[in-house]
Amino acid sequence: MGEKRFMKGNEAIAEAAVRGGCRFFAGYPITPQNEIPEYLSWRLPEVGGAYVQGESEVASINMVYGASAMGTRAMTSSSGPGISLKAEGISYLAAAMLPALIVNISRGGPGLGSIQPAQSDYLQATKALGHGGFHAMVFAPNSAQEAVDIVYDAWEYAERDRNPVLVLMDGCLGNIMEEVELPPMKELSDDDIPEWSLSRRNGRDYQGNITPIYTEPILEGINMMSGEMYKAWEEDDVKVEEFLMDDAEYVVVAYGIASRVSKEAILKLREEGFKIGMIRPITLFPFPKKNLHDLDYSRVKGIIDIEMTVPAQMRDDIALQVMERAPIYEYGRSGGMLLDDDGVYDAIKEIVTGGNDNG
Amino acid sequence: MAEYHRSDMLAASPSGYCPGCLHSLATRLISDVITELGQQDNALNVISVGCSALNLLYWSGDNLSVAHGRAPAAATGVKRTNPERLVFAYQGDGDLAAIGLAEIMSAANRGENFTVIFANNQTYGMTGGQMAPTTLIGQKTTTTVYGRDPATTGYPLKMCELISQLPAPAYVARFALNSPKGVREARAGIKKAFEMQLAGKGFTFIELLTNCPTNWHLSPLDTLEYMNTNTIPYFVPGVYKDITAKEAQA
Amino acid sequence: MKQSFVFSGSGGQGIMSAGITLAQTAIDMGKHATYLPEYGPEQRGGSAKCTVVISDEPIISPLPKCCDNLIVMNEQAYAKFFEDLKSGGVLLANASRVKEANDRDDVTAILAPVDDIALGLGNPRAANIVLLGVLIGATGVVSREAFVKSLEKKFKAKKPEVLAMNIQALDQGIALGKK
Repeated sequence: MGEKRFMKGNEAIAEAAVRGGCRFFAGYPITPQNEIPEYLSWRLPEVGGAYVQGESEVASINMVYGASAMGTRAMTSSSGPGISLKAEGISYLAAAMLPALIVNISRGGPGLGSIQPAQSDYLQATKALGHGGFHAMVFAPNSAQEAVDIVYDAWEYAERDRNPVLVLMDGCLGNIMEEVELPPMKELSDDDIPEWSLSRRNGRDYQGNITPIYTEPILEGINMMSGEMYKAWEEDDVKVEEFLMDDAEYVVVAYGIASRVSKEAILKLREEGFKIGMIRPITLFPFPKKNLHDLDYSRVKGIIDIEMTVPAQMRDDIALQVMERAPIYEYGRSGGMLLDDDGVYDAIKEIVTGGNDNG
Repeated sequence: MAEYHRSDMLAASPSGYCPGCLHSLATRLISDVITELGQQDNALNVISVGCSALNLLYWSGDNLSVAHGRAPAAATGVKRTNPERLVFAYQGDGDLAAIGLAEIMSAANRGENFTVIFANNQTYGMTGGQMAPTTLIGQKTTTTVYGRDPATTGYPLKMCELISQLPAPAYVARFALNSPKGVREARAGIKKAFEMQLAGKGFTFIELLTNCPTNWHLSPLDTLEYMNTNTIPYFVPGVYKDITAKEAQA
Repeated sequence: MKQSFVFSGSGGQGIMSAGITLAQTAIDMGKHATYLPEYGPEQRGGSAKCTVVISDEPIISPLPKCCDNLIVMNEQAYAKFFEDLKSGGVLLANASRVKEANDRDDVTAILAPVDDIALGLGNPRAANIVLLGVLIGATGVVSREAFVKSLEKKFKAKKPEVLAMNIQALDQGIALGKK
């Protein structure tokens, strides 16, 4: 059995990272994720790890690049504007085939935007975390507990794929305190240091090169391998929650904090007899395409995309699977204005009772 | 009679640097010192962007190739997690003194226990000879076709002078590679920096004045003379900071 | 049973601490709780707000639009959030600062001079504990016993007098809340 604590989402992420084997963090202050570096600044030295407050987001992601190249489980965290600055380094991580965990506790955008919570970085996370057409697996937990479970195993994916992993949460989930059950510390030894790394602690006695630069035919080959990897993710790694979908006539699609507010509204509307269900992507990339594609569209009358951002950013991914077999509606709040139970309830009710022609 | 043979640290292939380019010499000096210190397996070369990136092809030790200007940041991640390694970054002037200015100053200021070797040839060689932050006043480049004008481009950055003002760095020195004496001093300086790193003394910084026959549009020999009359008077060689000198006095 | 609480006042009045302590106490009693702080540049000396949800069941949404209990420490907080209090809900106002509370007849209003009580105990910083005492006395959201345990944890690094004074503050609040 794990250990139960009442923790802020940000701190739960930090502790789960340490227990998942993280031994290096570099980051730069930005609201609403500051509890992650603050926690790790004292926690990592306790377990023999290193914490560096970088001079910028740019430097921080490159510090992670250096640590990861040594086979150390390394991470950084930031929020939208900082993730934009890290884009260069994330692209280099992907190019050099280096694992890392990147956490985005998102806020209102674009630009400096608002420091208040918003789900404004879906497109950045899933389409272009940096230049060059690469992807990272993107996880979007909807509670501190799910964040703990995902972060704890983030390096299992990252090291398997030799590719960065992104955890995307909003400032609300990052700052909310709730109960979490913490898993035990993963005990890793020098033998666990990957052979491809530049570490010599694992007994490697030959030259190692890690580079984001390739000659043309090799780079093309690497691009093709990446393409195969992304396809394999779709087969093997999609995580999704289906809620009350068996008879659903209207399907809410929501992730992260929006899915929790939506679930509350759906339960209330079910009591009133409305047949509403929800598909909650837990991985935003790979996106749960099949769940949306294979719906019984003779029964489903509409899809409702609910996000804490305006305009909705997931809509195109949904539309590619719905293929005009049902109208797609959207509801959201944005700019740091939060979704709330009543607002989402009213919006869904208006749609299912035909009062919304936003399809 | 002294034997001259290929350094252990260099791959058995010809250098791809342009004829007369002092990058080759700098690479040779570093590899000789690492061999002399018996650090072949322990050394880790953080390779920057620019002509210096070609070291990836010639270097037979562990290499980590990183983004433009970010070598001191990546080296921080390397050294903080593997403090036993001999870590050095080899950076050019555009990489270090323009796009990577924040990274070099911050790593120096934190006193990171690694060595940065700064090759200053006053131009962007790889991209075809544009103005560098170290380009001399009046020096012609592809982006200062009438010569560098301080009214619009400011003045050449003196990195040793800047870094030696910080409290944390342990050793800061500049050497010119255009004479046998300068080469001998540079070799000794690199060795001192590496020894200080291995002793945990903190941040060490070696600036090497080099050339670029291709983009200076001069013969290799003429570049050496150009350095004597133009580069060295502005970028004065010497030891700018050495905490062990103070230790020796005390 | 699910209950939501909005605490609001100005920075330094112990708003966030009150919310966390209440949520933690509920969890120690085997209930479920979430605590959501409003963060930002105003957190020092500006306005402070947090939302606590307590339930016997796991909490789905931590973002209620309206609250069952509104606890306000000053007039600005009262004016800002009064409309978000549900019909049938409980308003708890710091009467030392909120002079004109409750022009609604669909809520139960409790006006308690918690600043004055804390001052009477010799520690104005305990006003939030008095306030929680009133809340506990009036609603029974958590037990006195569990809350005292939370206080013991909270002040374990401090001198024993600090804990004793806070328990006194709690008990005065509870007595007032039960009236």
